[in-house]
Amino acid sequence: MSESALPPPSPPPPAAPAEPAAAVRHGPPPLVAAALAWIFPGLGHFVVRRRGTALLYALIVTATFLLGLSFEGRLYSPEPGQPLTILATFAVYGAGLLNLAARYLSSNPSGSILSVTYEYGCAFLLTAGLMNLLLMLDAYDIAAGRK
Amino acid sequence: MIFLASLVPADHFLILTLYALLISMFFALLWRSEKRERVGLFVKLFLALVVGALAVAWLMYPFPS
Repeated sequence: MSESALPPPSPPPPAAPAEPAAAVRHGPPPLVAAALAWIFPGLGHFVVRRRGTALLYALIVTATFLLGLSFEGRLYSPEPGQPLTILATFAVYGAGLLNLAARYLSSNPSGSILSVTYEYGCAFLLTAGLMNLLLMLDAYDIAAGRK
Repeated sequence: MIFLASLVPADHFLILTLYALLISMFFALLWRSEKRERVGLFVKLFLALVVGALAVAWLMYPFPS
């Protein structure tokens, strides 16, 4: 068989598409970033190289939590017959080590209901925990390359 | 921790404003990535929280406590 009877050579296969950013990331795994974000506000963003915003997040969430404590707010724990306290406990535990340290160090983790700033303190503490839960999700997304 | 409370008088409006400030800063950082957009969102959120709270307080004023 002569060479002229051979079929023309097939064109080279197209180059593989560029890998998405998530596949070439160099940071920690998303779950590790989320766990670090829970331990201390901003730590998750710090390890995914968002250092500037990490510092600001740490300042904002820590200030909110400390103001809540200083306003004599309550570090919630579940109470029988009070199902909403389960949600409140979940929110406060979102603050990670801040919450655990405050429970350990505080002489009155239940706050002072007679204080004029008690309700404000509770709102600040709950907000700080919920903020940190959002930071966990954000750190997860950044580490996964979605953001 | 009481020392922090001593820095902030137990004034409803002042505490409300402080809360709005922290919330606005947090969400402006979280939801926007450009500096200009962050400042814009911060101002919008802060004004919405403070002015909204004043509006609700004004609407509730006729009701007995």
